[in-house]
Amino acid sequence: MSTPTQTETANQTALGRLRDLWNDYLPYWFMAPMVLVMVMITFFPGAYDLYLSVIAEPTFNVFEAEFVGLQHFETAFTRGGAFHSFVITITVVVSALALETLLGFVLAALVAGVDSGRMKGFYRVLFIIPMAVAPVSLATIGRLMLNSEIGIIPYVIETATPLAAPNFLSEVPLLTVILLDTWNWTPFMFIIFYAGLSSVPDTLVEASRVDGAPLWRRYVHVIIPYMKPVVFVATLIRLIDLFRTFGVVYGLTNGGPGTATQLVSINIYEQMFINNQLGVAAAIAIVYLVLVVALCNIIIAKVGFEGVWD
Amino acid sequence: MTERNRRNFIKATGVGLLGGLAGCTRGGSNGSGDGSSSDGSSSGGSGGSSTDTGTGSDGDLAIPLEEYQSADIDWRQFEGSQINIGAVQHPWVSAIKPAVPVFEELTGIEVVWNVLPEQQFRTKRQTDVSTGAGQFDIFYMDQVVNQFREEGWIQPLDPYFNDSSLYDEEWYQPDDLFEASKWQAHGGGYSDTWTGIPITVEVQTQFYRTDLYEKHDLEVAETLEQFRQNAQTIHENESDVVGTVGRGQKGYGMNIYILNTFLREYGAELWTEFPSDSGLDSEGVIQAAEWYTSLLQDYGPEGASTQTWSDVLATMQEGRAGHIVADANLFWPGLTGEDSQVGDNIGIAKAPKPADGTFSPNAFNWQISTSKNASNSEQAFLFMLWASSQPTNTWMHLENEAAFSVRQSVWENDEFRSRVGDDFAQVTLESLQAAAPDPFDRKYPEWGQRYSEELQRAIAGQKSAEEAMTRAAEVAEDIYSN
Repeated sequence: MSTPTQTETANQTALGRLRDLWNDYLPYWFMAPMVLVMVMITFFPGAYDLYLSVIAEPTFNVFEAEFVGLQHFETAFTRGGAFHSFVITITVVVSALALETLLGFVLAALVAGVDSGRMKGFYRVLFIIPMAVAPVSLATIGRLMLNSEIGIIPYVIETATPLAAPNFLSEVPLLTVILLDTWNWTPFMFIIFYAGLSSVPDTLVEASRVDGAPLWRRYVHVIIPYMKPVVFVATLIRLIDLFRTFGVVYGLTNGGPGTATQLVSINIYEQMFINNQLGVAAAIAIVYLVLVVALCNIIIAKVGFEGVWD
Repeated sequence: MTERNRRNFIKATGVGLLGGLAGCTRGGSNGSGDGSSSDGSSSGGSGGSSTDTGTGSDGDLAIPLEEYQSADIDWRQFEGSQINIGAVQHPWVSAIKPAVPVFEELTGIEVVWNVLPEQQFRTKRQTDVSTGAGQFDIFYMDQVVNQFREEGWIQPLDPYFNDSSLYDEEWYQPDDLFEASKWQAHGGGYSDTWTGIPITVEVQTQFYRTDLYEKHDLEVAETLEQFRQNAQTIHENESDVVGTVGRGQKGYGMNIYILNTFLREYGAELWTEFPSDSGLDSEGVIQAAEWYTSLLQDYGPEGASTQTWSDVLATMQEGRAGHIVADANLFWPGLTGEDSQVGDNIGIAKAPKPADGTFSPNAFNWQISTSKNASNSEQAFLFMLWASSQPTNTWMHLENEAAFSVRQSVWENDEFRSRVGDDFAQVTLESLQAAAPDPFDRKYPEWGQRYSEELQRAIAGQKSAEEAMTRAAEVAEDIYSN
C-alpha cells in the first residue's frame, strides 16, 4: 500500500510526462487540428471513392460489401466512354488554355499601354465582367445568343458577313464550348497578367528602349522572361480549373450532341446520377484524379522549378 | 428573325425555364428543364409534418370520412404511428397535401413529408434503400423501379393486397385504374407483383394551332404522313413559324420518350428477346427514327437536336410552331394558360400514327412504393390506398387543380370535364386507354441514355438514323451481355 507521499510523487511524475509529451511534440499538436480537417475533407472522400470503385454496391455495413476488383475500371473504359471523355477533356483544356493565355496577355499588354488612367480603369472593369457571370447563367445566355433562330450571334454573323452562321450547338459544339469558356475565363488571365506587367521594373523597359529594341523585342527578351513565374502560376491554376469544368458545358450542350462535348466531369455525373453506376463513376473519378495530379506534378517539377524558379 | 421575335422568344423561354424548374419530367438528362413540375409543390424543404388543415371554413374535413369508413378495412389498426414520405416537388404533392389531415383523422397515423428537388431526391432515395437505412416508408418511384426491385430494395405490395384487414377490393375498385398504369406498377411487364401504386400519369397527344390549320385549310393529322404534310405546309408558307418542334436533346425523358411512341406504332417493340435482342435495329425502329429525324431536320427549328421539352413548350407558347407531339397533362395548362400567346388557338388531338399502324401513345406514371427496410410499410400501404382511392382522387381533381388521374372515372366525371375542357379530357381518356408506357428494365437508365445519344446524333445530322439505331442496339445488348 502506497503512502500519500508516494501517491503525490507518482502524480507529479505523470504530470511531468504529460508536460514532456506536450513540449516534445509541440509542433505536431498545433498541426493536429489542420491534419484532422484535411483527413475529413480530402482523405476520407478519396478513400470512399476508392471503396466505391471496387465494390458492387454501397451497403450500410462496409464489411458486407461485395468486392469486385477492377471490374468497374474495365467497364469504365469499355462501355463507360471514359477514354472518349478523356480525349474530349484534353482537347478542351489545351485549346482553351492556349486561347485564354494568349488573349489574356494581349489584352493585358494593350491595357497596360493605355496612357489615360481613367481609361485603364474602364477597360479593367469591362474585361472582368464575363468572369463574374455564374456558369449556369452563362450557359443559358450562351444557348440564347447562339440559337440559330433568334440568337444575336448568328444574326450578327449573317448580317455583317456574307457567311452563313453555323449551327453552333449541333454542328460545331466542341468549338463552341471552347470559345464560351475562353470568353468566360480570359478575364482571369487578363487580371493576373496585368498585375504581372505592372510589376516589371520601369528601369528594365527603359534600358531596353534606350538600347533601341523595338516593342516586340522588349516583350520577348525583357518583359516576358521577367513575368515567367506569373505566367506559370496563372496557367497552372487555370489548367487545374479547366479539368474541373462542368456547369457551363452541361448547361450549354448537356455533353452532346451524342457525346461530342462529354467532358470527364459530365461523364462521371451521368454515370453516377443517370445511369446509377456508382462504381463506374468512382472508377473514372479515380483515374482522372491520378492523371491530373500526376500531370500537375510533372509540370511543376519540370517547368516550374527548372524553368521558372531556378 | 425579327427583333420582336427575338424579344418574345427570350420572354417565352424565361417562362418556359421557370415552368421547367417546377415541371415534371421522366428523368434522364436534359438541358434546361430537368427536374420538375409545372406548378411546383407547396413544400420545398425536408422534414416537418403536414401543416395544412384540410378543413373547410366551418372546420369540416375536406373529404367526409364516411367515404372511407364504408370500406371493409381496419383503418385504425396502426393508430399512433407515423409514416415518412419522400417525394419530389410535383403537382401531386401540392394537390394531395390539403387532404392529408383526412387520412390522419381516419387512421390516427401522422404523415411526415420530405419534399426535395428531383435530382436531390433521387440521390437521397438511392442512399436510403441501398444502405438499408429505411428512412422513407413511402417514396416516389420512376424508371429505376426494376433496378430497385431486382436489388431487393422494394417491398412487393401483394401481401398487403391479400390481407383482408388492409384491403377491400370492392371499395378500392382497381379496375378503375388504367391498364397501362397497372402494367407499369408491375415493373412494366417485368414483375408479377405490385411494385407500387400509380399516382399520376402523363400521356402523349398532339397539339396544333387552330388558326394556322384554318388559314391553310389543313385537317388534323391522323397519320404520320398527314402530320408531316401539315408541317411542310406551315413551314413553307409561314414566316417565323416552323412546321413542328420536338425533343431532340438526349436523355431518357427526352427524345426517345417521343420516338418510342412512333416505333411501337410501326409495329416494333423494345427487347423483342430480353436481354439478347434489344429490337433497336429492327425495321420498325429504323423507320420510326428516320421519320422523326427527317421531320425535325426538314420542318423543325435550327438546332433541333438540342431542344428540350421546355424549349418545345416555349416555342409553341410563342406561336412559332405549327404543331407538336407532347404530354397532354404537362403541356395543356401551359399552352392554353396566361403564359401562352396562342392560348385561344390551341387544339388537341390524339397522337398521329402510321397509316397501317396501331395507335400506341407513350405514357409515364409516377408511382409510390415502399422499401423492404421501411419500418412502417403496412401503414404506408394504407396511405397508398387512401391516396389513390376514388374519393381522394376525385376530390384532388375537382377541388384542387389536378389533371393527372390514373382513374378512368375521374376523366369521365362531368364536373371534371367541364373544368378542364371536354376536348382535353376526351383525347386524354382515349389516349390513356390505348397507352403503352415504356418498359423500364433494370438497366434502362443506362442503355436508354446511350440510345438517346445515338438518336441525338442522327437528329444533328452526324449519322444516319439507321447507323444510329444499329449502334444503339449494339450498345444496349452489350450492357446486358456483361
